[in-house]
Amino acid sequence: MLRLIATIRKEWLLLLRDKAGLALLFAMPVILITVMALIQDAPFKDYQEVKFDILTVDNDHGRLGRYIREGLGNSGQFNVIDSLQGKPVSETTAKSLIGEGHYKISIVIPKGSTAEIVSNANKIVNDISKRMGIPAQLPVKAIASDSLAVQLYFDPAAKKAFKSAIRQALDNFLTQVQTDLLLERIQMQLRSKDSTATDTFPAIKLKAVGLQETNLGKHQEIDVISNSVQHNVPAWSIFAMFFIVIPIAGNMIREREDGSLVRMKLIPGNYLSILAGKLLFFVGICVIQFYLMIAVGIFGMPLLDLPALQLGVNHWAGFITALSISITATAYGILIGTIFKTPNQALNFGAISIVILSAIGGIWIPLEIMPEKIQSIGRLSPLSWGLDAINDVYLRNGDIRFILQDITRLLACGLVMLGIAGWVEQRRIS
Amino acid sequence: MTSIAVKDLYKTYSGALTPSLEGLSFSFPEGKIVGLLGPNGAGKTTTISILCGLVKAGSGSVKIFDITQDASRREAIKRLIGIVPQQIALFPQLTAKENLCYFGNLYGFKGKALKQKVEQYLEMFGLGNAADKEVGKFSGGMKRRTNIIAAILHEPRLLILDEPTAGVDVQSRSMILQFLKEYNQKGNSVVYTSHLLDEAQQICEDVAIIDEGKLVVQGNPIDLIKQHPACRNLEDVFLHYTGHAVRD
Repeated sequence: MLRLIATIRKEWLLLLRDKAGLALLFAMPVILITVMALIQDAPFKDYQEVKFDILTVDNDHGRLGRYIREGLGNSGQFNVIDSLQGKPVSETTAKSLIGEGHYKISIVIPKGSTAEIVSNANKIVNDISKRMGIPAQLPVKAIASDSLAVQLYFDPAAKKAFKSAIRQALDNFLTQVQTDLLLERIQMQLRSKDSTATDTFPAIKLKAVGLQETNLGKHQEIDVISNSVQHNVPAWSIFAMFFIVIPIAGNMIREREDGSLVRMKLIPGNYLSILAGKLLFFVGICVIQFYLMIAVGIFGMPLLDLPALQLGVNHWAGFITALSISITATAYGILIGTIFKTPNQALNFGAISIVILSAIGGIWIPLEIMPEKIQSIGRLSPLSWGLDAINDVYLRNGDIRFILQDITRLLACGLVMLGIAGWVEQRRIS
Repeated sequence: MTSIAVKDLYKTYSGALTPSLEGLSFSFPEGKIVGLLGPNGAGKTTTISILCGLVKAGSGSVKIFDITQDASRREAIKRLIGIVPQQIALFPQLTAKENLCYFGNLYGFKGKALKQKVEQYLEMFGLGNAADKEVGKFSGGMKRRTNIIAAILHEPRLLILDEPTAGVDVQSRSMILQFLKEYNQKGNSVVYTSHLLDEAQQICEDVAIIDEGKLVVQGNPIDLIKQHPACRNLEDVFLHYTGHAVRD
């Protein structure tokens, strides 16, 4: 026990005197998670959450134009811009501004649109009335225009998914406007036929069946929403925790190079107790690192107008996950520090391998959107096991049973790596 | 009783074309200062590594104070030996006191007793004022002296030193040699390797010269010089047995 405590104290003193090492362990990860959460905030938000400037050219000057502008404005998704520097936006100006990338979307409402929609609604109502034996009363245009369409212009650099989402949102909105007009015409026809002017008609309810979303987590009252902070803070925390391989491997190779390792091995007693002290110290550092970053997620992110990190309800499960990730990360550091002979080899391999394991393990982008083959490989990454377990606890409010498989994998992987390191070290002696 | 008895020691490192030790045999009497000498690549470091259990011998036997070194007795032997490696095997970011307290803890010492022991040795080696200074900021001589203290914290019966005076000034060297004599006078055995043969001649009562993994000659330095009329000192004897060819 004395050897173990002495080693922990020695490592603590060494770390305190290594200012660059301290920065690498604590300051850099905090900067990393903050930057990643900020820059990935927009892509993580649903299109409904984002407000887009939409250049609106109203050549109709009728009811449709007004409906569309009001509707777009009220939807909360768009900032309707219909004039620039006090002048109404023309189609030519809109096309030019979109083409130059100053705006992402423009909508052009063609002249006569209102008349066309009203006429179409009237025609439908007249047809229905006629079949019901009611004489057609509403005015209809003699010749319907087939080529009339609300024109959309997109920034050429806009992504396909973005275009598709916007087109669908606008299409839904246009359908809504046309449906509203149709219902209004039906009400108008019914009122003129059967009632006095004082009659009130009940509003026609179009949606008989709606949609309802229910949280399937164990604690349904806690609805944690996946967002940039919820993904990036735990994901990049795991990434940063694995970067502990750099100080561990550096520390071990330095001890081998300067001969202090030899001195430790010359002292009677099991070297494993010294190694256990080192392991415990760095596992502790990893756990502190993790909770420091979690604290930044909870208290720091709201200061940057980002949502606060939610930890779910099973804090012990979260702690066990953090501990398991820390053990695996530290074991990986010990393995690299044992196998490689020079700091350069160890640091380069360590850093690059973590970047690869994190990329395929779903740290950068969720594993689910990767190609199937990469997903299969990615599921072998310890970082993906860690992230899965964290998501189970933080997003699904899962308890220890949810994470059992992932933490078993993490700990087994850590044990295998320590076993290999021990075998390599033993071979060195023999 | 012998402090060290080595018999038919063979060792070939994996991947090496030639053996490092090829039937090496020698023994040193207990309670003496003795020298293990040889040119570069002679097998001194391998021999020391086997003596202290860091490297396994291919074959042959090693006895320390008549205790045969095997897996079951390796720990017991470690308690009897103190090794001063050629490298400064200390943590440069830690102070001298922190280094020595850490190694003292590993030996099982703790508390006030350890603190007193460390302070006493630091004073003895003229490092009392530098106790709280980081070892990385020490001069070469100060590092060597701290390196020696780290090996004697458990007061071993056998102290093995690999080039303990390499790269130190005259004053530090004198202090180290004086300490070795005093340590030996307490009844402890000292094995010393060095390329400074005048130093070996000055302090060693017995020397073993090895080359190419084998013992070349062993005896008292003065007797060896006398046996070779053409040789004026131990260096001449050494060159007589190991030749003038430069070693890598």
